Formats: sequence, structure tokens, C-alpha cells
Amino acid sequence: MDARLLPTVDLDTIFRPRLAQLLNVEEMTAKEKLFTFQFKDGTPLGQDPGQFVEVSAFGIGEAPISVSSSPTRGDTFELCVRAVGNVTNALHRMAPGATVGIRGPFGRGFPVEEMRGRNVLFVAGGLGLVPLRSLIHAVLDMRQDFGAVTILYGTKNPSELLFRNELAQWEARDDVDYQVTVDVADESWRGNVGVITTLFRGLPVDPRNTVAVIVGPPVMYRFVIREVLGKGLPMGRILVSLERRMKCGVGKCGHCQINGVYVCQKGPVFTYAELRNLQEAI
Amino acid sequence: MMKPKIAVFEFSSCEGCQLMFANLEDEILEVLGAVEIVNFREIMTEKGDDYQIASVEGAITRESEIERLKKIREQAKVLVALGACAHLGGVNCIKNYQDQEEVRRYVYKERAEWFDTIPARPLSAVVPVDYAVPGCPIDKKELLEVTKSLLLGKKPSLPDYPVCVECKMAENICVFDKGMTCLGPVTRAGCAAICPTFGNKCEGCRGLVDNPNVNSHKQVLQEHGLSVQGILNSFRMFEGYLEVAK
Amino acid sequence: MPLKVIEKRDVEPLVRHLMERFQVVGIKKKDGKNTYGVIESPAELRLDSCATITSPKKYFFPQRETLLQFAVDGSWEPQAVVEAQPRIIFGMRPCDIAATWMLDMAFSEVNPDANYLEKRKRALIIGVDCKEPCDEYCFCKSMGTLEVETGYDLFFTAADDTYIVRTGTPEGEALLEEWGKAREALYEDRVKLRAVQREKDERFKEALEFDVEELPRFLEDSYRSLLWDVLGEKCLSCGSCNLVCPTCYCFNVLDEVKLNLSEGERYRVWDSCQLEGFAKVATGENFRERRGDRVRHRFFRKGKYMKEMFGRFGCVGCGRCTRACLVHINPIEVYNQLKGGE
Repeated sequence: MDARLLPTVDLDTIFRPRLAQLLNVEEMTAKEKLFTFQFKDGTPLGQDPGQFVEVSAFGIGEAPISVSSSPTRGDTFELCVRAVGNVTNALHRMAPGATVGIRGPFGRGFPVEEMRGRNVLFVAGGLGLVPLRSLIHAVLDMRQDFGAVTILYGTKNPSELLFRNELAQWEARDDVDYQVTVDVADESWRGNVGVITTLFRGLPVDPRNTVAVIVGPPVMYRFVIREVLGKGLPMGRILVSLERRMKCGVGKCGHCQINGVYVCQKGPVFTYAELRNLQEAI
Repeated sequence: MMKPKIAVFEFSSCEGCQLMFANLEDEILEVLGAVEIVNFREIMTEKGDDYQIASVEGAITRESEIERLKKIREQAKVLVALGACAHLGGVNCIKNYQDQEEVRRYVYKERAEWFDTIPARPLSAVVPVDYAVPGCPIDKKELLEVTKSLLLGKKPSLPDYPVCVECKMAENICVFDKGMTCLGPVTRAGCAAICPTFGNKCEGCRGLVDNPNVNSHKQVLQEHGLSVQGILNSFRMFEGYLEVAK
Repeated sequence: MPLKVIEKRDVEPLVRHLMERFQVVGIKKKDGKNTYGVIESPAELRLDSCATITSPKKYFFPQRETLLQFAVDGSWEPQAVVEAQPRIIFGMRPCDIAATWMLDMAFSEVNPDANYLEKRKRALIIGVDCKEPCDEYCFCKSMGTLEVETGYDLFFTAADDTYIVRTGTPEGEALLEEWGKAREALYEDRVKLRAVQREKDERFKEALEFDVEELPRFLEDSYRSLLWDVLGEKCLSCGSCNLVCPTCYCFNVLDEVKLNLSEGERYRVWDSCQLEGFAKVATGENFRERRGDRVRHRFFRKGKYMKEMFGRFGCVGCGRCTRACLVHINPIEVYNQLKGGE
């Protein structure tokens, strides 16, 4: 096009991260740690629940990580990270005081405002609890604004359960129906055994006023969505968050594309109604 | 921080990859600022046995080499295969397609009785190998990248795409368009397509990508005039061990 | 915008003149093939040659480009790096001008990309009209890119001993003004231009057996076609098609540290959706693992997704991907087969 029509741009580019300091590290499981960060300039991250950031371990690289904390809880932010690649392994080697780079928050998070007044059914599989926790916190912090809150959580085995202290708190609350299951029990496990869909049997869901929010590994979606549809929920009130390779986070690099949609821009949160026409989605 | 100690060893090879190491010249002082070399026959007389990283050149072609390599593996926290011979077996494996006794007589002549010989194999056929710096010879820049990665605690990663990518980036005329045949479409990149850039074909010294479309590539080679035997020969130059292993 | 005329013999002096103020790039010979490169002496510039291996997009979006400099321990603020210089691309073809429009859209939408846009804005584009198809692989006429109305500062059409020059921008006009040797076009020149354009149009044939506006629908209808599996069997996943494509802009981002291990740079490098690891995440999940799915993704991007995003097709019909493809995957054939309902 005519070069004069091109936008003027900030030379402090979309690729420059802001520095953040690691304040605290908490071991969650053998593979996951919870990291608490604060921007060096003291500003809050300002994320919506469900958004993600690009984390730089300088010299190692940059990786997309979903934010695990709710904006309703202070100026720090939390990332729960499994050590799987170079960047996440580098994070796992870091101690409080270390510096990382952060770009974001990016993407479209959960539509908290539209969910107000409704019952919320959370379904988390494995690491799916990580992004979901930001929304669970937000909902619990504004508990009176929502109807019935149900949290279903499943992992492969008991040792993979994340945020154990919080799970206990949810379990203890009268205004939350919390249920957990594991695919394979160990000797200490007294709870449900079976894949997460087994928790749907007899689960009361009012299809007229419930939003289902589902986050888990790719294989989980198809089965859980079938259950939720079975409860009579309309497709527009079924929300999922999709994992993809969001390399740049700003809608350029192409890696996160699902059919014609850049997940880092239109997602990672989608309604099932939006996904139905995206063959590559789930 | 303690400098990691590196030792460099060779087995059956031309020692060219170690030479690339020794030839770092511009960078060697900075490298030595970060690591301590305790054993490197080609450049020093001291011989230390206390090391964390072993960089090993060469293929395994004799029984005694198996024992020596196992000892190195026991000592080293990280074992890096240096160059095509260590990484793939390399040109040494051409002998695997010949009569072993004849090869022995040809190589060792009247002293053949003194030496045993076994089919050539890469290090990974004998012991677990952590990382490889591929190529014949290795690429200096890649050697430095792998070294830096190890020092930073980053897993050195080799490109999982073929040489064509680097050829296109360099805007080379396709080797096939010059009337030659090329293993670039199935060979792991990382060499900046050095051979095609300087007018040669890719001979596959860096090994194949993880999931090569070998069948389609063979058809391309045939279409450009290579016979079945010709195809086999071109792959046996560096990938000979792979074929036997299958 | 005014129409000007330059004598062909004056092109070399013009180039020499431009070289004083700009880096001038254009089509040169490399090993007997055409490629865009920096013009070192005016005689090198080949305005008549076409079918370059890669497109001139490398001047706005280089193969490798530094984005950032950083301290490994984060002890100082990371610095954004944006490199740009005044540059003239002399002899860009209509297909590449159309492709540049597409890149302009992609890099200015939503999150403007300074690294692209600064280079782009500091460049002047002098287009040159094609006289005949590059070869049997180009199909610009079918893709509607044989003629371009905008996207250039100047646009040269050869007619006898002259170039008739359309000015697209005040900057282009000023360039000629300042040089001073271009004359105003006369009535005869306008007549000549129309005649040349008519002759040119006749030399280019329609390659697609249907109106290209129907392409998104044909693609949509054949999402599950076996054709993609057949192409997947052939495809080498070598990425050549993407790398030579003038509208492909996917990239990877990597860090490289200096030997002192205390500072380094982050850079981007061209990537390709045909490569095995393109959609693979750290946990090992590969969201486009099958070769056929990757081939389909490329064709859908060019023929549907980019059209939906930006209003124009991501394919400009330049034929570079076909020329680069060792297994003869040719968009003309693919598109025509889709129309046949295969």
C-alpha cells in the first residue's frame, strides 16, 4: 500500500519485555512450581483471568505461560510452571531475587462480566487448573455476584494435584461444590477414581443459567464438552482455553494459528460455539 | 562458579573435528574464560581424568575402543558426539559393506594380525550420548552454540528441518536445478547450507531430520537420473550405519 | 498523478544518481539466475529480468533480524533494536508490489511491528511492468495481480526506447523532479502506453479454470478431501515454498548470547508452517503433525484465511513456490483440482 498510510509505530517495540523480579517460589509437585513475580517498576500486570504472558529467561528464550493469579489479589502475579522446555527449566532453576522479562498480558481472557449472575461450572484437567485458578479466584472474591459454583478437578494421579492448600479450602466451603478425581489412585487416596467425565454422573446443572469453563489437555475437551452438552448447556455458554505455540503473542509469527484464527489474539479463551467451525481446534 | 572441565577424545576419525575445535582462534580465549580444558591430545600434553564434559570425535571400529568409550562415559556427566563419525558412524561405515577381513588386510597390511576390526558404529550404538555437534567437519559456530548452551543450562537443540531451508534463505540456486542430485531435502540443517552455497551438493553429513519423507525424496533422486544403486551409494556416504541398524 | 517519460539510455544515469542518496536494490544475476541484491554499479540492474528465487520482502523482513539486546541476568533494561535505512527497490514486479501490500497489512494490523514498518517506510518502490509471463508457473493474471494501481512510488512500463513512468506518490514524483531528466508524457506516449498494456494483457493467459473469488468456497468444500493426503505423501516438508513466498511472514524467535555469557540478543528468523515442528509445543504435543494437514494449512492460508483477514488473497500467483518445489506441488493444479471437486 501507499507507505504514507502505514501507522506510526513506537520504536520501543512490541517485542521488548519489561523486567520483573521473582519474589517467591513454591514447590507444587515434582514437576510444577508456583512463581510469584512483581514488575520492577511496581506496576500491576493488569491481566484478565485467562490471559497469558510471554516470559523471558534471557539467553534461553521466551515462552507463553498462562497467568495463574487473579487481578483481584494485589500487584504481584503468579505463574505455575511445569518444567518441560528450556525456558521453563530455566525458571525452575531460579531463586527469589532473579530477574525475568515479561510481555503481555496477551489474548482474550474469560468474559467475567458476562458471567456475573450465573452459576459457574469449572472443569479442570491436570495443568488446566493453572489458568482456571485465575478465574476461580476472581469468582470467589466476588462470590455474591455469582450463583452456584462447582469445581471439578481431575489429574492422572494424586501426586499431580496442584494448589493443595486451596483445594482443601474449596472443599471446606459451603458455597462451593468441589469434587476431585484421579485416573489412577495410590494407597493414600480415599477419593474418586476415574477420568473426569465420571464426575458428571448425577451432577446437578441448571442449563438455563450455567456457564461451563473447561481447561485441560487436548484429549479432554471432546469428552467433557459432550458431557456438558448432555446437561443441556448452549454452545455459547461453554468456554474453553486452548493451548498452542504462542511464540510472539502479538498476532504475527503464525505458530498458534488454528485454521484462520490466531489463538494469541482471538483466544486462548473461546466459546464452543466459536470453535465448532474451526476443524483444527479440538 | 567453578569452570566446567572439558576433555576431548578421539576414536576412528581424521581428527578434523578436533582441529575445528583447536582452530577457534578468535574465540578460544573467551571459551577458556568459561571452561577448563583438561585433556585434549591435539593441543596439549597434560592429561587430566577429572572432567564433566567429554567431547568425543570418531566412530567405534575396534573392540578396545568400546571399553575406552565406556570408561569415558562413566566419568563424564555430559557426553557430546563431535562430528559425523561420532554422531552417525560417518564414512567409517562404508567399510561395513565390504568384506571385513579384506578391509583389515588393506588397512593394516603386513601387521593386520596385530589389529582386530569390527563393523563401524556411532558412539550412540555403544553408550548413551547426550548431545551431538553434527557434520563433517563440525561447524565452528555450532560448536560454540552448543558450548554456550551447556554453560547456560540450555539443552542444545539441533534444527529439525532440512538443509533446503538454509539454501532458500541464502538464495542459492537449487542443486537439482544445476543438474546434480542432493540430500539436502532430508538432511538436518544447521550448517548454513555450506556445500550448496559453494557449488557442491549436500551429502548428508549431518544426518537425517527426525521424520524425513525418504520415499518421496528417493523419487526425486530417481527423477533426476540417480539409479537405485546410486541412491544407496549416496546415502551410504554418511548414513551407512542407519541402513544396517534398520 | 502525472505521467512521465524516461529514455531507456537514461536509466543508468538515474540509477547512479539514486545511488548517491540511497541503497539501491534490484534484480541481478547470480549463477545465471535472478535474485534481488544491492546494486553496486548501475549496469548490474536488470529491469528486463524476472522470476527471482526469493522475493524482495527480505528488505522489509530479513531472513534474520535482531529484535532485542539484553543482559542475561536482567541487570539492565532490555533494549529494542530497530534497524532501517533509506533504500530504493528498483524494478519490483506487480506481483511483488501486491505481495508487499499484504505484508503491510499483516505487520500494521492490531500490533504494529516497528521492525517491519520502519524499513518499509524508509524505502521507495520503483515498479517495473512485466512484458510476458515469467514461465508456465506464474499465474498473476488469474490472481488479479498482473496490474497494480497503488503500492509503488514510481512504476515503469517499457515502450520502444523509453520507459513511461506512472507516479504513485509525491515522494516518487519528487525523486524524478530532483533528477530533472524525465519529461512530461505527451498524448502519443499515453496512446503508446495503452497499446503496450493491451499487448501485454494478451500475452498473459488465465491459468485458473474459475473466477478466483470462488476459491475460498472451493477450499472450504474440500477441507476433508483426499487431495491433501496425496499432496502430503509427496511433500518433503522442506519449507521451500514458504521461504520463497512473497507473502509468507511467519517467523521464529530465538536468543543468542555472546561468549561472555552475560549479554545477548533476541532475533527472529523466517519460519515455515510446512516444517514438522512449526505447531509443536514444549510438552511435545504437535498440533499439526500430519504432512497433509500442513500442506492444507498453507493452501488455506493463501486462498482463504488471509483473504478473510485482509480482504485479499495471500497468493499473488508469482509461481515461486512451484519453481522451488522438488515434488511439483503447483497451486495452479491444486486450485483447479479443487474446482473439479476432488
